[in-house]
Amino acid sequence: MQGGIPMIEVKNVTKKFGRKEVLKGVSFTAEKGQITCLIGINGVGKTTIMQAIMSLIPINSGEIFIDGSKLTKDSYEKITFIPDTITMLPQMRIGDAFTFMADFYQSWNQKRAEELLEFFKLEETERISELSKGNTAKVNILLGLALDVDYLLMDEPFSGIDIFSREEIANVFTSHLIEDRGVIITTHEINDIEHLIDKVVLIDNGIVLKEFHVEEVREKEGKSVIDVMREVYEK
Amino acid sequence: MNRYLKLVNFEFNRFFKLYIVLVIVTIIMQIFAVIVESRGYMREAKNVIYGDMMSKADFIKNYEAFTMQRVVQSNWFYWSIALCVVVLLIYVFFIWYRDWLGKNSFIYRLLMLPTARLNLYFAKATAILIFVFGLVALQLLLFLIEMQIMKWIVPAEFRVDLPIKEYTDFNYLSVILPGSLIDFLLFYGMGIVAVCVTFTAILLERCYLLKGIIFGISYGLVSVGFFLMPLLIDTFVLNNYFFPVELFVMEVIAGIIVLIGAVWIGNYLLKYKIRV
Repeated sequence: MQGGIPMIEVKNVTKKFGRKEVLKGVSFTAEKGQITCLIGINGVGKTTIMQAIMSLIPINSGEIFIDGSKLTKDSYEKITFIPDTITMLPQMRIGDAFTFMADFYQSWNQKRAEELLEFFKLEETERISELSKGNTAKVNILLGLALDVDYLLMDEPFSGIDIFSREEIANVFTSHLIEDRGVIITTHEINDIEHLIDKVVLIDNGIVLKEFHVEEVREKEGKSVIDVMREVYEK
Repeated sequence: MNRYLKLVNFEFNRFFKLYIVLVIVTIIMQIFAVIVESRGYMREAKNVIYGDMMSKADFIKNYEAFTMQRVVQSNWFYWSIALCVVVLLIYVFFIWYRDWLGKNSFIYRLLMLPTARLNLYFAKATAILIFVFGLVALQLLLFLIEMQIMKWIVPAEFRVDLPIKEYTDFNYLSVILPGSLIDFLLFYGMGIVAVCVTFTAILLERCYLLKGIIFGISYGLVSVGFFLMPLLIDTFVLNNYFFPVELFVMEVIAGIIVLIGAVWIGNYLLKYKIRV
């Protein structure tokens, strides 16, 4: 923790896949209570960073801290990852997925899960394998949001889903469901959430090109996130 | 309920439907084996006694009385056991790979559970053991039912009723249903070690992918070599120097070391090297 502020700190993380170095010393922070967006074209290592934070892949060097401590099994009660693929068994009904989560996570909030179910207009009896792509994404997000965790990592939550589902998911960010949690999100659809994000980490070719607060850039330089992206990538 | 037990319950439920199918197929095949063998014997007896005018006593003398041994050695019975063994062997691999492969990304959820990842390893191993012991218990129960069916079809004068142990002592069933506690501990202990070594080899493959296949196979061979080392040294180097009991103790120790090694490496891989 820097100055006692709860946050996720990624320090000089490197990751190689075979001979290819995907992350070349990535460092950034994501504070609790803020939405941090990792931006970069496909294959720059955004998902790898998230998987590394959750200890779902090994890193070659560097350190990752959550509120000043390294990730342990207990950390999964305070940080969760919503990948762009469903993390439950396809044959399960949504209700079964709720039971599974309630069985294993102390931080599972059944009341919030039911609220989210209503929010996304889903039914507990629906089978995951029979859901549309948009509804599958919603269930995935629901399972993450219904945990009373401090940090949420969301990988491409808008990927490949229709505009209405995208709007519904974007609405989550302005609701009390996010409140003062720390969120790290990766997305290509920056237009959908530009007004919601607090901080941007621009990544290219395995390095952090720029890290900035959206409000600051908007007020001081009169630039949008896309303006900054254009500036940085055109260099 | 602690999370390890919850995981065991979860793993058990995931295979339960297929397991029930396996149990039903086994029951059908074995009962079919008893009926086919018993009726075949009686048909033969009828042909010989009434066709060739042989007395019952001579028939039994020449053709031997019917025992369950004949059923146990029949193809249907043999294949029912082989089917169970093959399904469980495949399941030892499938229990891990199904969480990664296809559209399924359940491995994300499993690795993000707020419990020691080693519990996944133990839960999967425990589920396999439960399935194995379930089938062993089923076999013992089936023997009683099959003997009853045999008694209905083959009259008492044509058969010899022996205790179950007599049918299992001198064939492949002696491995599945060992005759003594020592054999039971030895065979099933070796089974547990083999499952854990296989699990660790699978994790090596999952962690290092293509290179992992080589690591996994090498690791498996080293484990088998280490386990057999006392026997090999005694036979080929020391020319049967040790007493059997000494060899037995050394084998048990070697097995325990291989088991601890498999679990330790498995734990290390799950903690530090695993990838989704």
